[in-house]
Amino acid sequence: MKLRQNATTALALVAGLLFLSPVLYSIWMSFQTAQSYYRGGFEFSLGNYGTAVTKFNFARYLVNSIIVSGMVTLVGLAVSTTAAFAFARFDFKGRDLLFGITVATLMIPSHITLIPNYLTLARVGLLDTYAGLILPAISNGFAAFFLRQYIRGIPRALDEAAYMDGARPLQVLWRVIVPISRPAIFSMGLYIFLGEWNNYIWPLVAVGKEDLYTLQLGLARLYSVNPGEGLIDWPLVMAASTITILPVLFGFFLVERHLVRGITMGAVK
Amino acid sequence: MSAIALRNVRKAYHGGPTVLHDLSMAIEAGEFIVIVGPSGCGKSTLLRLIAGLERADGGDIEIGGTRANDLPPQDRDIAMIFQNYALYPHMSVRENIAFGLELRGVPKRERNARAESVAGMLQLDPYLERKPGALSGGQRQRVAMGRAMARKSSIFLMDEPLSNLDNALRIAMRTEVKELHRQLGATMVYVTHDQTEALSLADRIAVMKDGHLLQFDTPEAIYDRPAHRFVAGFLGVPPMNFLSAKAVPGYSGPEGLTIGLRPEHLSIHAGEPAANGLGVRLLLSEMTGATVILHCESAAGRITLNCARKDMPQGSDALWVNLELSHALYFDEDGKRVELS
Ligand SMILES: Nc1ncnc2c1ncn2[C@@H]1O[C@H](COP(=O)(O)OP(=O)(O)O)[C@@H](O)[C@H]1O
Ligand SMILES: [Mg+2]
Repeated sequence: MKLRQNATTALALVAGLLFLSPVLYSIWMSFQTAQSYYRGGFEFSLGNYGTAVTKFNFARYLVNSIIVSGMVTLVGLAVSTTAAFAFARFDFKGRDLLFGITVATLMIPSHITLIPNYLTLARVGLLDTYAGLILPAISNGFAAFFLRQYIRGIPRALDEAAYMDGARPLQVLWRVIVPISRPAIFSMGLYIFLGEWNNYIWPLVAVGKEDLYTLQLGLARLYSVNPGEGLIDWPLVMAASTITILPVLFGFFLVERHLVRGITMGAVK
Repeated sequence: MSAIALRNVRKAYHGGPTVLHDLSMAIEAGEFIVIVGPSGCGKSTLLRLIAGLERADGGDIEIGGTRANDLPPQDRDIAMIFQNYALYPHMSVRENIAFGLELRGVPKRERNARAESVAGMLQLDPYLERKPGALSGGQRQRVAMGRAMARKSSIFLMDEPLSNLDNALRIAMRTEVKELHRQLGATMVYVTHDQTEALSLADRIAVMKDGHLLQFDTPEAIYDRPAHRFVAGFLGVPPMNFLSAKAVPGYSGPEGLTIGLRPEHLSIHAGEPAANGLGVRLLLSEMTGATVILHCESAAGRITLNCARKDMPQGSDALWVNLELSHALYFDEDGKRVELS
């Protein structure tokens, strides 16, 4: 018994390290100079970070990424939670059709919507703006679907109790449904945030101005920066990558405790 | 003006079968009304129509003299206690009780004072900061009552509020509900399928079956003069006995009637039957304490009656039951009660 537990722990550790190793390796690599990397030695240096921030404007990209991913997450959650509440709780004409269409959007690859979205934003003059980066991403069929399923699992009697207490529908949503759905909403938020944080294609298409670049665009640009002799400056790329993943890791630890927790317990018998 | 008036109210869920048929009743302010009936007869539906949680498909619902059919629940100022309590799991007991006040913009200090006084009345003071998940069933039930009380609504609706409690607690809470009604003076509509609760709590009882209101009257009238065989059989333990009249000695009325006699109007004896005595065979006896419930078989049908333990007939002599026919009720083939002149 004890032995088996130890074996399981060891296995989990090995698996964890295996998954983590590319990340650890790239962080390690980011702390050396390009010269020593290509010579095969190790020479500690923080220079890559300095270069990324000063020469390649990564601080700006970081801020842009936070603004874009943050807004996409917040607005996207607001939209999909409200939609999910409506789908889960209200009887209205065409509800099931609308929900079907919402779910069907999950089956459309994003590349198909790329050009229509581009043309739409070009027409309304939103290319090269934050709004142009944010707006197309806020409607999220999967989030609406996922949250609807979760809300359907919350006893309707709680809504009804709130209505009897004098609540309006949006108060029921905000004061009863949202707090109870917190684990689902946080999970969905993390999912949306990561998806947007790693989004490359849309910012590439929608943005030309360098000061609207997100981290992913900035990263891609680094591949064309040569330390000489046609080589890529990998340690610089790794430093920039570390800048890219650290906020995400930090954010994850921040919301992690909200993610999975059954708090409906005790609501109804 | 009635506190609640229903006129020919009809309800069918999503075009399904009709679950309430042309139901009419008027409830006066301050009355304690109990709605009883077997499971599925439409009690909850009726309550939810009054609450505004469902819409009527026909008829009128008036609350406080104004038509309320189209009024959403939040505008009816009615408090409701749900069968499963429906406490907000993410809020403390204090917040649960005060939520309705908060929604109405009552200042925090006043809300707290009110929540505390309500909690005091219900002996919930030690649990004010707890979440519902950390309370026992009886405590949750009290919180649900507290939540309804905090707002001082003039109408309380309760849907089988005690049915999830164990027996001892249920009896204790029954007294408290009655006391609460006395203190608050509010109009209460209380749904139960428990006939003892109905008889002990109600000013008036509404007996329902299959979406029809069979009788709406005082407990005494319902018990002594039930309008329908179903009503007669539903209230009273052990239930009323129904005997086929033609097999009852001493009966000389019209054909085809059923005689209803409550157990307290029967007595069992040993030996040869007296005039109007009905010979029986004892099937089963249930000890309940001071009395024994006897289940017998007779030519006129099954008979259940109470017997004090000291009066139990001894030995294996023939048994007979004395029928106090002056208390008999008569029902026709449709179950309607008829008067014999
Ligand atoms: N939401 C609903 N949709 C469809 N049918 C329902 C719904 N609620 C109740 N019913 C039906 O209506 C009838 C009355 O139910 P209900 O009012 O809950 O009875 P009771 O409370 O007396 O047990 C039952 O036949 C039940 O199946
Ligand atoms: Mg019910």
